Amino acid sequence: MRGIYLDPRTKLFMIFVVSLIVMSNAVTPLEWTIRILLTAIPVFLLITEGKYASALRFTAMYAVSLILMRSFISEDSKGLLSALLVGYCGIVVQFLPAMITAWYVIKTTKIGEFMSAMQKMHVPDGISVSLAVVMRFFPTIKEEYGSIRDAMKMRGISFGGGKLSGMIEYRMIPLMFSCVNIGDELSAAAVTRGLGAPIKRTSAYELRLSTRDIAVMAVFTLSACLFIGAKIIG
Amino acid sequence: MKEKKLKPKDFITVGIFTALLFVVEFACGMLGFIHPYVVASYVVLIPIVGSIPMMLFYTKVEKFGMITLMSVLVAIIMFATGMGWLGAPLIIISGLIADLIAKKGNYKSFKSTVLSHGIFCLWICANYFPVIVTAKSYRKNLIDGGYSAEYCDSLFRAINSKTIFVLLILCVIFGMIGAFVGKAVVRKHFEKAGIV
Repeated sequence: MRGIYLDPRTKLFMIFVVSLIVMSNAVTPLEWTIRILLTAIPVFLLITEGKYASALRFTAMYAVSLILMRSFISEDSKGLLSALLVGYCGIVVQFLPAMITAWYVIKTTKIGEFMSAMQKMHVPDGISVSLAVVMRFFPTIKEEYGSIRDAMKMRGISFGGGKLSGMIEYRMIPLMFSCVNIGDELSAAAVTRGLGAPIKRTSAYELRLSTRDIAVMAVFTLSACLFIGAKIIG
Repeated sequence: MKEKKLKPKDFITVGIFTALLFVVEFACGMLGFIHPYVVASYVVLIPIVGSIPMMLFYTKVEKFGMITLMSVLVAIIMFATGMGWLGAPLIIISGLIADLIAKKGNYKSFKSTVLSHGIFCLWICANYFPVIVTAKSYRKNLIDGGYSAEYCDSLFRAINSKTIFVLLILCVIFGMIGAFVGKAVVRKHFEKAGIV
């Protein structure tokens, strides 16, 4: 296994802290530093996993919008272009840290590990199974959507033939068809492997919190405390 | 079908449709950053477009708990993507009520499905909660954070503690209209294909 291995629980904690911090806006330089630092950690972890392309893409997007936002937009900028710019940069700066973290977690956690972690935290089966499906499904949807787009291109249909309703109809309906079918296969496969059996599940993955995990959690807890402290004082 | 307890198959169905619903939400959400008024129009966009997967989902719901579970998942994902937890109670309560309404119609009657979808759509309003509850500091935060005053003013003109009731009602109404649209689409495509 490549990269720095982290326990799924640590990763969930990372998501928790990042979304906590992302929610409140950073104002002072200290808050910005914490925020950028916390964004850098998942990016770094992505690099250690060998996912250079996505790490680079995220960093570039984040850096560009951050710079644009800090240098070109002020309180009294007006007009459509600046509104667009504000909108675009705003969403990127606001939500990208959470998205990077979520992306990192989804890309590097095996479903088995995730389930085992959820079980250790005594999360009810219903929630953990459905969450695992959601996690597994986002990449699938992306893949299926890509194939549908290719098929549409081959027939010479782009953007739903110019109709707004067509756009939904030609893309979403096929997507839903394939998702429903995949879902049926998925549940058949899961049941065959004993999901929903009335006994306690065992897992092939032994989860143990290592020093690495504790260190990462400590860093995140500390920065969350600092951030909240700065908010209260400031 | 007489079985009342949820099976793994049901969990998986819930998971899939939650994922689909979020694809719709993200697609519409991207539009919202063009102009703040679009943010307010989520209450129209998301119920109508999202109704297509939702109506297909409703045809698969047979037991109590699936819709509630979906709302819990929505709340968790909203939190994980940085939208905050202020809306979580609203999301889960509206999911529970939607579930109860649908149960009353035995998950088969179209009338209760329409009503139930309308109530379920209230989750969209949870997006606005941070804006309303913390209006003053949120505005300051946005401006300090680099948003222009113009953007903020239009945002707060469209969304404040007065308009939230209008938005909530619009959510329900368009949720109901969406149910009809979704039903028509499902009938057109999925029933013919024999999936439902």
